[in-house]
Amino acid sequence: MKYLLSAVIVLGLLASAAWAQEAEPATPVDTTAAADTVSIEPPAPVGNLRAYDSDNDHGHAVTIEWELSPDDGAGANSVVAYEVFRWYPDFWDTVQQVRADLVAARQLRASGTLDVEGDPDDYVKELAAEHQEMLSRLPEAHEQYPNNGEFRSLRVVPFGATTFEDQGPKDRLAEDFLPDYCDFYYRVDAVTKVDSIRTPSEIVGPVQSYGQWFNTGRIVVLCFVVIFGLLTIFFVQRARAGAELYVRPIAGIEAVDDAIGRATEMGRPILYVLGLGTAADVATIASFTILSRVAKQVAEYQTQLIVPTYDPIVMSVAQEVVKSAYMDAGRPDDYSEDIVYFVTQSQFAYVAAVNGVMLRERPATNVYMGMFHAESLLLAETGAIAGSIQISGTDQIAQLPFFIVACDYTLIGEELYAASAYLGREPVLLGSLKAQDVAKAAVVIFALIGVIWSTAGSSLFQNLFKVTD
Amino acid sequence: MKRSSVIILSVVLLLFLVSWIWKASVLGADPEETNVWGHAFGITFAAFLTLAILSFLYRDNPFYKFAEHLFVGVSAAFWMVMGFWSTIVGNLVPRVSESLSKFFEVPFDKFAVNYFYFIPVILGILLLFRLSRDGGWISRWPLAFIVGTTAGLNFIRYLRSDFIEQVSSTFVPLLVDWQGFGHFIANLNLSATGQLALTVGNWVIFLGVFCGLVYFFFSKEHTGIFGAASRVGIWILMITFGASFGYTVMGRISLLVGRITFLFKDWLGLIS
Amino acid sequence: MTWLPLVSLTGVGTVISLAVIGGGLLWLLYRSLLAKEVDRRIIFLFIFLSVAAPLLFPITFEEEATPVVKAIFDRIESLPEGSRILISFDFDPAMAPEVQPMAEVVTQHCMVKNHKVIFMCLFATGQALLTQSLDQIMSEQFPDKLDGLDYVNIGFKAGNEGVLNVIVSDFKKMFPTDVNAVPYDSIEVFKGIRSAKDLDMVFTVGGGKPGVKEWVLFVGDPGRVPVAGGVAAVVAPQMYPYYPKQLLGIMGGIKGAAEYESELRKEYPQFEDVDAPGLRMMGPQTLAHMVIMAFIVMGNIAYIVQRRRDGQRKRL
Repeated sequence: MKYLLSAVIVLGLLASAAWAQEAEPATPVDTTAAADTVSIEPPAPVGNLRAYDSDNDHGHAVTIEWELSPDDGAGANSVVAYEVFRWYPDFWDTVQQVRADLVAARQLRASGTLDVEGDPDDYVKELAAEHQEMLSRLPEAHEQYPNNGEFRSLRVVPFGATTFEDQGPKDRLAEDFLPDYCDFYYRVDAVTKVDSIRTPSEIVGPVQSYGQWFNTGRIVVLCFVVIFGLLTIFFVQRARAGAELYVRPIAGIEAVDDAIGRATEMGRPILYVLGLGTAADVATIASFTILSRVAKQVAEYQTQLIVPTYDPIVMSVAQEVVKSAYMDAGRPDDYSEDIVYFVTQSQFAYVAAVNGVMLRERPATNVYMGMFHAESLLLAETGAIAGSIQISGTDQIAQLPFFIVACDYTLIGEELYAASAYLGREPVLLGSLKAQDVAKAAVVIFALIGVIWSTAGSSLFQNLFKVTD
Repeated sequence: MKRSSVIILSVVLLLFLVSWIWKASVLGADPEETNVWGHAFGITFAAFLTLAILSFLYRDNPFYKFAEHLFVGVSAAFWMVMGFWSTIVGNLVPRVSESLSKFFEVPFDKFAVNYFYFIPVILGILLLFRLSRDGGWISRWPLAFIVGTTAGLNFIRYLRSDFIEQVSSTFVPLLVDWQGFGHFIANLNLSATGQLALTVGNWVIFLGVFCGLVYFFFSKEHTGIFGAASRVGIWILMITFGASFGYTVMGRISLLVGRITFLFKDWLGLIS
Repeated sequence: MTWLPLVSLTGVGTVISLAVIGGGLLWLLYRSLLAKEVDRRIIFLFIFLSVAAPLLFPITFEEEATPVVKAIFDRIESLPEGSRILISFDFDPAMAPEVQPMAEVVTQHCMVKNHKVIFMCLFATGQALLTQSLDQIMSEQFPDKLDGLDYVNIGFKAGNEGVLNVIVSDFKKMFPTDVNAVPYDSIEVFKGIRSAKDLDMVFTVGGGKPGVKEWVLFVGDPGRVPVAGGVAAVVAPQMYPYYPKQLLGIMGGIKGAAEYESELRKEYPQFEDVDAPGLRMMGPQTLAHMVIMAFIVMGNIAYIVQRRRDGQRKRL
């Protein structure tokens, strides 16, 4: 075994020696050349150096691009890195001194240990004003190039790199703050493994950094926002004008009416759960419309309604909804503030409380509409044990399976929104539902085109959907 | 109170006391333990509450109700206290008032003061008008602000991540790495990264999206070819729900394992 | 040879418990063939037994990392030493048994790779879990790692997605200090980090809202930061559409954690002796799943038998 191992090692060494004879080293860092530093020639400089303000940002960044030195990965293969330099005016050091003083003074002032003559606050304010004034003189100092200043190293990037972003924070008090609207000059050195043997490039400049008003990388998002917005407005206007907008019947919606009738016959209450969503969630908003319809019928039939809520804001809105539904039904006196009440904002504590209501009050019908998380099955299961008719609807995909198995009717995802539009017949809801249908048709068409392009091996169509920041 | 209830209550109380004393004696053996009785009470009480909640599986009972009410009460109070300390004291006070910062002992930086924070303060106070019978309408303004900003913020994010990025993810090649039928047959294998599996996977993605969207198309009755596609859509939805259900079983068992581990390890010391 | 009685005791316990569970199931199958109803409480009892038995008499299984989990492992493995990784504990005690093992195993991996880690949480009730778990891991397994130098705990901040929306452009604005009130600028880990965009990777563990999805929406996509997620099993299927374009990997439920743990043990054998809750929990998981599957089969048998009988009755 030992001999075999030795043989393998020896063979391996021989093979690597043979390979080293034939092949060019992959990188210029080779271990054999430690002694012959004298033989290294200065490499060729980088080509076509360009500097420009970085796109789609808030400023404070300049991008520098170059073409590889002919001696990087080819030619003499001697370039190990590139060092990027920027020209700094001497005035920059004065500004930095004041900045450091200001930062220190602010810290000491915050801890109450700033020991100066006069009011410490005034001292800090004066320093801040001085720093501000100096910053405003920075562009002027940069205009003096090439006098009263020098090139300073920014960063060393490894061989093979062709771009560097000179980026700083917009915080004026940061050490590496990069001011906007100053004339910057850059230089890139091709560096060999002997630091002193290097070749500087041409100097590029002046270039200024500045912020952009619009992020063109997000233009796709803007297009979709505009198209969807216009579609929605168009269909809402049509619905308002009285156009007959067809919505297919949705099984489960009719069940709500029957369930309310059943509760009335049995003389038991109806429990309406709005879920854990906030008032801004679409599912909760859709649920409000359905609640309005349920509350109106409950008021007409004079049945009891129970609405325990999880979110205080949702509670406020639900109270408004139920109150106006009772008014619409012509029974404002039957409305009580206790119909909609707040339980708690802790998920499982809320479930425990609602489960308690189900087992104690024994509602004939439980309606769960809105956003649900882990509590869906806990609620629906308890409701099933209590023998209630259960109708649910949510746009939370993960919770749908539980509702489907434990409830009598379930509105899947968008059916919840559609139900709300179908029941409410409100132009805004109907119009948006129609706009969504058009959008879905568009997605189907996009998917078809995209798949065909992609199968043909082109990513051209896919690139149209690319969002960059 | 019925006699049987009194007996059950006494037995449970007795068991609780025995468990407390026993746990304290076990913890007392550890020289580093400083608060033996308190720690023992905490563990015993937690175990009691766990069992009380689990007793609901048998049937509703006063112990479950006790645990439930305790949970609701404690969590409501906890969130109120958390809301005060993390939002009002944590986010607001250090930005607006030096004296209040001193009072609540939070670091205050005079130069980081931002009076814009008074805008949410005012909106928050307006929200409290909800409690007033006559001024209730005022609370609608901050409500509108909350709904509007959240909707706006989410709209852009969702449109980008959940719509544009997801739509472009659907643009999959239906023939992966296609080099002719002969090549396909010659290199046929069933591995997860093989050409066949990837091709079938892409077809499932494409048809799934297509039929799923058809199911959720509300402007047309589901009849004919449209109805067939919609039925395939609902099958795909149901398969997804099945997978989801399976995952959930795993999740719930994990939670049960967590609770039983607590009972066996921290309370009874059966496992190390 | 002191271990011999222990092994045999465990073995005997396993055999007895399996026999009890299996025998009970056969008895239930017999009853279901007679179309007799099974009380739901019997099912609860069997689930309890199938979870409790493997905890008392451990059964462990080998795990092989699936590509979605391996992707996270490989990314952390391939990042150069000293990379900045953010780990967010976005869960509360109710979710902890399922997701905490993921957070812990990734923490171990980052520490052993000498990455610099920022810990935070978006759940108020998660802060205690985070601090406790961090203290335990650091004191027991990595006593040489220093707070502030190798890792930092910046704790909880109220605001949910709002917090993410701010840190994607400015970290310090949201977290001016860490949990020990050390100012942002004097924390070594934060050197050179202005926003979440400067991070090399984000690993978020959660199951509620805000969770992994919010990290993708508010940090991953707009900031082009690689985000990986460990999620409660319930939400795992919802995360798959984001993989691999928007999420670099997913750990779904305790199985995900177990896979990662076994991958870590394979690469770093020093973790063999460290408790691996994910792998430990796979024993009860497997047995409980088998019992549930048995119940599904039994339920269907009873249903078919019942239907056949009803059919015969109708014909009569």
